[in-house]
Amino acid sequence: MAARVAVIGLASDFGCQVQITNSPELLAILGQFELSYWQLATSGHLHHDYDVAVIEGAVTTEEHISLLKKVRATASKVIVIGACAVTGGIPGLATTGGDLESRVGCVYGDDGGLVACGRISPMPVHAVIDVDYHVPGCPIQPAEFVSVLQRALMGLSDKMPREPMCASCKVQENVCFYTKGQVCLGMVTRAGCGAKCVTLGRPCTGCRGIADDANLDSARQVLVDNGLLESELGRVLQLYNAIEEASR
Amino acid sequence: MTTLTVEHVARIEGHGTITVNVDSGVISEIRMDIIEPARYFESMIVGRRFDEAPLITSRICGICSPNHAITSVKALEAALGVEVSERTRMLRSLMLYGSYLQNHATHLYILAAPDYVGQPNVFPLAESHPDVVKRALGLKALGNELTTAIAGRPVHPITCVVGGFTAEPSREELSMFANRLHAAARDAAATAELFASFDVPVFETAGEMLAMASKDEYAIYDGDVCALDGGWCRPASEYTEFVTETVVGHSNAKHSTVDGRTFMVGALPRVNLNWDKLLPAARIVATKAGLRPVSRNTFLNNLCQAIELVDAAERCAVLCEQLLADTGSTQPVPYKIKSGSGTAATEAPRGTLYHTLALDDDGLVTAGNVITPTAQNLANLEADMRAFAPTVAHLPEEEFILRIEQLVRAYDPCLSCAVH
Repeated sequence: MAARVAVIGLASDFGCQVQITNSPELLAILGQFELSYWQLATSGHLHHDYDVAVIEGAVTTEEHISLLKKVRATASKVIVIGACAVTGGIPGLATTGGDLESRVGCVYGDDGGLVACGRISPMPVHAVIDVDYHVPGCPIQPAEFVSVLQRALMGLSDKMPREPMCASCKVQENVCFYTKGQVCLGMVTRAGCGAKCVTLGRPCTGCRGIADDANLDSARQVLVDNGLLESELGRVLQLYNAIEEASR
Repeated sequence: MTTLTVEHVARIEGHGTITVNVDSGVISEIRMDIIEPARYFESMIVGRRFDEAPLITSRICGICSPNHAITSVKALEAALGVEVSERTRMLRSLMLYGSYLQNHATHLYILAAPDYVGQPNVFPLAESHPDVVKRALGLKALGNELTTAIAGRPVHPITCVVGGFTAEPSREELSMFANRLHAAARDAAATAELFASFDVPVFETAGEMLAMASKDEYAIYDGDVCALDGGWCRPASEYTEFVTETVVGHSNAKHSTVDGRTFMVGALPRVNLNWDKLLPAARIVATKAGLRPVSRNTFLNNLCQAIELVDAAERCAVLCEQLLADTGSTQPVPYKIKSGSGTAATEAPRGTLYHTLALDDDGLVTAGNVITPTAQNLANLEADMRAFAPTVAHLPEEEFILRIEQLVRAYDPCLSCAVH
């Protein structure tokens, strides 16, 4: 029997699920699995009868935690997709500075008590359950998702790149942002995007997460050597990596 | 009393639950609970550097991210007093219309159409109606490719910054897209014919309708905000004076009213308020499809999206040709960082989108406010549900629920946007 796949969304902007629908590569492997649940694309309920769970979004409520525990008990393979699920991503920004209660007040005013029941401080999926496969990025790249999904269907290992992105910039012959006195996170961010942003004229902001091989201390030194504030590295890292950055 | 619920309504962006209470055969309550978790965007941008605001607020929505990014950039430009080139305006308009192609094609074919052909999703149509699915995927792919050529990828633009763009499409790309877009207008017209062929319930919303309008063009990049019944137009920057937002207990998104009434934004109000600004090709398609302004049938929002697809395809083709003829630059213009506050609006695919940003002397964000189209629509959507439900209450439960879901999906709600 073909493996059954469920696509589940936590707190997110649905951008990575949209990227799945943007994936011509997916059509080529449609015959390799059965879609058991996908709220964005099809009617039907989540019955806990799937083999592979694809999870988008950060964990931000008590309900998410109990859902994830059920998912882990059901699925033999769990794939997390996108920065929110992999690192906490942009939702993780809410863990910096002010507490969650003051944020509720900022958004909803004095009536904040009425809403946002069961809220908890945002975290990535791996903080709650074991994760087998990762598709990083904000948003994910459709081809990378399809390749990881296939690895999961075939029982191959997770294969996230370990090295930082800087080498991709050399291949693209990009001019380094440090020569213009601007902070770029390419030297600490997980490779695999082909240095897309830098190639298009924007510094890397770290959406693919901190690379396993990254050396944050020497990266801070690079900032200092270029006349920038050492603290800027951590400040920019907060955008997608606030939770991991705080633990280092 | 019996209660019907549809948890995590399918084929919409975000998480919402429909609840219907029936008391001795009479519907006593019907509501849309917005269970999308609170996301705190307006608080998360506070303290961040101004140029990070578009990057962060783009992540409010993965489906209309180009609209959030441009609206945020425009709000910053209003705060900093930055004037952009005509070429930048053109390229931004092209990016917004590209987003219409992506969004409307996705909503019409993947999210809405299955309801009208009795399927749970679009996949069975690949076998029964291969030509329709091919057309759908073609339009969606064209919108994605166009957005990628301008912004670097279909979701979360890279190149759009304060003052201009950090990269722009090549002449070869613009010329290729102009040709493909003219051809796509025919596919868009076929989409409108398809949606005109679907039976929609006879129903009229009682709410007001709001959309941007301008004397020069079909207003999506710039314009005043106009009210259909109220007959007034006001600068978008005054939105906090005419849109009233309230927190309601069953929704993590606020509800909105204007002049004390619920109101609708999106394709139907836009077509009603800007009928004479539609390109002739789109007006012809609309007329053939039997649409006459003013229409108040919420279900026809889908048909209006299809009409806007025709308009968007033609306009994108023309914009590509204008960009090819133009010799200006989209290089970001120089500007000085200073304190100030700015508000901007655009017409996102689902309706008027407002962003306000306030900055301090160092260019750090001190406050921000975002009002999304779906947040504005939710109160009217619920009012429509209450008015519409009794007219289909005689149907078997499953069909009754499907009709209510169909009404919800006609609004093309984006609950991720609504809770931001």
